[in-house]
Amino acid sequence: MSHSRTQVFAHLSAPNASLYRRIMAVFLANKRRFVVHLRPEDIAEELHADGGEAVTQAQVDEALKKLDEWDNLRADPDTGRVTTVEDFYRARFLYQLSREGEAAERALELFDRELGRRGELQAVALEDIRVRLHALTGMDGEQDPAVVHNLLLEIMSRLDSLAANASAFMGGLQRTIDLQDVEEEAFLAYKDRLIAYLERFVSELVVKAFDIADMIRRLTHVDDLLRLAAEREAADVAPGEEDRPGEAAAAKLAEWRDRWSGLRSWFVGDRTHPCQAELLRMRTRQAIPDLLATISVLQERRSGRSDRSADFRTLARWFAQSPTEADAHRLWRAAFGLTSARHLTVEAEEDDSVTSTTSWLDAPQAEISVRLRATGHYAKRGAPRKVVDRSAEREELAAFVAAEREQTELARKRLATGRPTPLSAFPELDPVEFRLFLRLLGEALALGPGEVTTRTADGALEIRLRPRDGWAEIRTEEGVLRGPDHELTIIDRVAGAHG
Amino acid sequence: MAEEFRDVLDADREEGRRRAVRALLRHPLLTPTHPDFRLVRTHQGWLADWFARETGWTLHADTAVARLRKIPARHGDGTRSAQVKKNVPFSRRRYALACLALAVLERADGQVTLGWLAERMLAIAGDPGLVEAGMVFTLGTREERADLATVAALLINEGVLGKVAGDEAAFVSGSGDALYDVNRKVLAVLLVTRRGPSTVQAGELHERLVAITEDVLPDTDDGRNRLIRHTLTRRLLDDPVLYYRELTEAERAYLERQRGPLLKRLVEGTGFVAEVRAEGIALLDPTREATDLGMPEEGTDGHATLLLADFLAQHLRMYPDVPVEVAAARAEMERLAVRHRGLWRKNASAAELTVGAIHRLDALGLIHVRGESLIPLPALARFGFGEPTITGKKGA
Repeated sequence: MSHSRTQVFAHLSAPNASLYRRIMAVFLANKRRFVVHLRPEDIAEELHADGGEAVTQAQVDEALKKLDEWDNLRADPDTGRVTTVEDFYRARFLYQLSREGEAAERALELFDRELGRRGELQAVALEDIRVRLHALTGMDGEQDPAVVHNLLLEIMSRLDSLAANASAFMGGLQRTIDLQDVEEEAFLAYKDRLIAYLERFVSELVVKAFDIADMIRRLTHVDDLLRLAAEREAADVAPGEEDRPGEAAAAKLAEWRDRWSGLRSWFVGDRTHPCQAELLRMRTRQAIPDLLATISVLQERRSGRSDRSADFRTLARWFAQSPTEADAHRLWRAAFGLTSARHLTVEAEEDDSVTSTTSWLDAPQAEISVRLRATGHYAKRGAPRKVVDRSAEREELAAFVAAEREQTELARKRLATGRPTPLSAFPELDPVEFRLFLRLLGEALALGPGEVTTRTADGALEIRLRPRDGWAEIRTEEGVLRGPDHELTIIDRVAGAHG
Repeated sequence: MAEEFRDVLDADREEGRRRAVRALLRHPLLTPTHPDFRLVRTHQGWLADWFARETGWTLHADTAVARLRKIPARHGDGTRSAQVKKNVPFSRRRYALACLALAVLERADGQVTLGWLAERMLAIAGDPGLVEAGMVFTLGTREERADLATVAALLINEGVLGKVAGDEAAFVSGSGDALYDVNRKVLAVLLVTRRGPSTVQAGELHERLVAITEDVLPDTDDGRNRLIRHTLTRRLLDDPVLYYRELTEAERAYLERQRGPLLKRLVEGTGFVAEVRAEGIALLDPTREATDLGMPEEGTDGHATLLLADFLAQHLRMYPDVPVEVAAARAEMERLAVRHRGLWRKNASAAELTVGAIHRLDALGLIHVRGESLIPLPALARFGFGEPTITGKKGA
């Protein structure tokens, strides 16, 4: 029956599980002292001493009977002498661990150990692997099967432990980063050491893994080595029924090849499949910024004046305690300040003639579109108005803009002669020229007084201005400009560059 | 030409600032997805100065969020609610849930799912204060999950959560979940309280509101004056109408002395139009950018409100200070509904429209609701209508 094999674990989920485990612990402890048989009285006495909850003899008897039922213990009739009449009539047994019971205990022990493990990053294991690989590569000529076998075994066992520990460690680290079951204080105290630890491992990994990968690549006669180890192991295989010579060795060789490819994939990757060591390195490196981010989250939480989370919980309570819904809205507005401002809207210009002492009752009323008042809509309902074709106007506008640009261009050409000209010698200017002239003059004079050189904002024209004695008059169609005379030079930089 | 150009630039910049002020008044918390976010960032320094000087509200802006810590000048107004769908205000229950969700998010990391959130909220929902107030959350029923989805929608709207995958509807029906990014920067600026609510002992709601919003100002003449000025500006900027009779004596005296310059600064800064009357002041918003409710407004509800306002204003003019019964308003609305049957929404009942219109008029400071009677307030008179006078070309 399949369940009878595993029913030795039944006591784990039974109501009295802790008592059962304590009893089994007593048996294991005694077995270590080579005491095999135990009387119920002895067990009760030991339980009394183990610091746990007090138990009565009756409870112990009951528990022992159960454990016997589940095959954890074996009961043998107790044929020893008794000293009272009651004892004589009571069914008496001596208990010892059954084979199943003992196996179950060992399994549980292993289980506890595995789960309790925090994992570690074994930089030392890397070094061990490297040294042994070095020994392997160093062997030339005749190889001693025993040495080869031992080296290979050691490499594999170190790798095994390195891999298992690394994955346990990274899992634990992830839980730390996610701040699951970790106290903030403990985390902050621990973080520096953790980061230093990660950094040390990463640097070891980078150096050693490269070395190891290099050696693995250089080992050309791997298969011979593996064969040596396999043959040596095959010699030890106990004879089976359908064994044929050579088969055991082949099986062992296959096993060793698997292990070797495992080692290879750990340290030697290719472009599509990065090796495990590389992945571990990436993960470890990533853990450092992740840890820093976690620290910043913690700092952020601490920086609030009061505990924000507590604030929100208090507000939840206040909302719940609000007498009416309107009160809840008041609280929402005050605490979160997310509500909109609210204003009456206005359509027409305000009448300024109303004084501030006029009552709303006497003031002119707000002008509201007659249609809105009558229908509730500004626009007339129905089909939208026909779209007016404005292409003719647009063309006219374009022509106008082009003409204006041409005129400005002409004005620029006439003014930007590149020769120094006294203002008093300027000819009569048309309006476009005059506007450009004024702008240039304004820009130059703004920098003065004295001799100045400047450029227009677009960099196209350079202006030099030097004061002269006397006065100048410039005539335009719109009037006459008078001012102190200057010598003005306007140079067209754009034309100059092109020409 | 350069001169003209500079003028245009100046005008442009000032208009931009006004628009940014209005945007912040309408949405005190902006995230980069909002069209006005860049505008606020552009004028950030000026805006921070302006709000600090005029109202004492602080403005915080960085690449992730722009936040005006807008604290109301008084706490009487119960018409401004959190909403996800228009016209469906949050219930106390949803508010409480939202706070629980925020309490959980405060402790969360970069990403959460709605299911995860619900689980953690359950752990803190057993708070004795909540249970005593009759709030029991199990988050097991469809209805409660729908409440939670609404809360999530609010947090998404405000930018606290950013949806990555999934769907709230699936969560409500129990067939799926939704995944969000938590925006810690927005979360950090969500509360505007001057004091952490958890440090306040008061048991009565009004005391609590005062305690969490009170400004600490030096007890000098200057400090007191500043406080009065800020109170007045906050009301003018945030509330539709400021009635003199609601002010304290000191506030009234200050306003009498300083009204001109005060209003001038506000009008220049916001682009609003000040309507000053014997009973009070209303800042009117010609752009309609800085308000969630408008008056007048298009559509059935806006129209019904406008017409009811007309009716109440006539009453106000004839019998000042005499309340109108809600029943009378409803009767008027029924008459109006008959007349405008063809124009109005088919499924709107007169009773529903009356409730909506009363809420809107109350929210806009045009009437007071006291039990079953309505007290028209002076500013309502601006919505009364005489017969329209036709101006312009005759015979055109």
